[in-house]
Amino acid sequence: MAEISFPLPDLGEGLIEATVLEWLVEPGQQVERNQPIVELETTKSALELPSPQAGKVVRIHGAPGDTINVGEPLIVFEVPDDTAGIVGTVPKDEAPKRRVRLSAVLDED
Amino acid sequence: MSETITQARREENNPATAAPGVQQMSMQQALNRALDEILAEDPKTVIFGEDCGRLGGVFRITDGLQAKHGEQRVFDTPLAESGILGMSVGLAMAGFHPIPEVQFDGFAYPAINQIVCQIARMNYRSRGTLPMPITLRVPSFGGIRAPEHHGESLEALFAHVPGLKVVSPSTPHDAYHLLKYAATRPDPVIFMEPKSRYWQKGPVDVTNALPGTAVHDADADNGGSLTGARVAREGRHITLVAWGAMVARCLQVADLAAEDGIDVEVLDLRWLKPIDAAALARSVGKTRRAVVVHEAPLTSGLGAEVAQLITQSCFSTLKAPVERVTGFDVPYPSGDLEDEYIPNIDRILFGIQRVLEYRRG
Repeated sequence: MAEISFPLPDLGEGLIEATVLEWLVEPGQQVERNQPIVELETTKSALELPSPQAGKVVRIHGAPGDTINVGEPLIVFEVPDDTAGIVGTVPKDEAPKRRVRLSAVLDED
Repeated sequence: MSETITQARREENNPATAAPGVQQMSMQQALNRALDEILAEDPKTVIFGEDCGRLGGVFRITDGLQAKHGEQRVFDTPLAESGILGMSVGLAMAGFHPIPEVQFDGFAYPAINQIVCQIARMNYRSRGTLPMPITLRVPSFGGIRAPEHHGESLEALFAHVPGLKVVSPSTPHDAYHLLKYAATRPDPVIFMEPKSRYWQKGPVDVTNALPGTAVHDADADNGGSLTGARVAREGRHITLVAWGAMVARCLQVADLAAEDGIDVEVLDLRWLKPIDAAALARSVGKTRRAVVVHEAPLTSGLGAEVAQLITQSCFSTLKAPVERVTGFDVPYPSGDLEDEYIPNIDRILFGIQRVLEYRRG
């Protein structure tokens, strides 16, 4: 298993920090991609942040009321080794399929 | 020799009978182990790239190496490929042996200037006083349905540049030994890892680099015999020449062709610069027919170089012109169209059929 840290992104244009209002997930919990994980407040708005990926929550950073800077760790996921950070998918092992048959007269000269 | 090869193939297919000391591991694990040992053996080695350090690489190739060898020797860099390769030049000039990683092949383009104008030329430019012992690891080729720029086939581009050596392993065993070999070279080596094969397991004999492989020395001074091509499967009727991920596909094709009575030899080129011309001559000299298979676009691809080398050595005995089964002359497509682009089993079988059908004028 591998750990993947998700840092706080810039939630607006040029925002440098956000305040945690409420965590919607807790360590040990399995989350799906796009599942809301935390409510945050910036100088512009309050919003729910969706999970960037599926995985098990290992750690969350910041209690309600804490301020987190953009780029600092927000949440850490645990994912299987063969999916950690992969852009794309792990190919499946499949039996080879064919439609073409070979035919040849092999002269042995 | 042929007996040894057959023996090796039997063992590959049946790990239970493999020699002691042989371990089953994925290419991912084989590369990780090789890097671990290189770091332990050579204090001048440094490994770096995007996410190489703490995360252990997106493909887990550098997993655990920072924790074991320290942040001075395995570290993360900013997302800037020209910087990663530019820093490699400076480190090499200062006596280090850098093993940088470009996270995905398509992101080598921003560093082409550093690779071509500095890494490849510094030895020549300095009249041999500044060799560049750099091994650039590049997760290469397609097959994992990734977005644009995450799957490319750049071997012809690199192989065309004087000063660079280019190699691509196709098995965990070769990945382990070729990486260890490349890392000891005084010259820059572009190490193209077939990313679709990272998870495939196979036997790795860490004590013996050459268990039953037919390998032909290109360098006399190399201290080993990892510089040539490898006969991945012996056959009598036609030679399939491939490298990287296409070797596994050609072996599947060979199995299917055998059902039709065609005995296919598969030559794993391994080194794309310099190419083992002697191995090509030996194989095609025997089978008298050849098909080159690669993922890169057809035009000016490495298949043309291979076909010329074959023609030069086997012109009088060839039964048909050398065929090429390749990607198309379009940008490497993103995931959904990959199956249409990468040579599939039927396209390779058609290539074989074209060669078998050919009759002189």
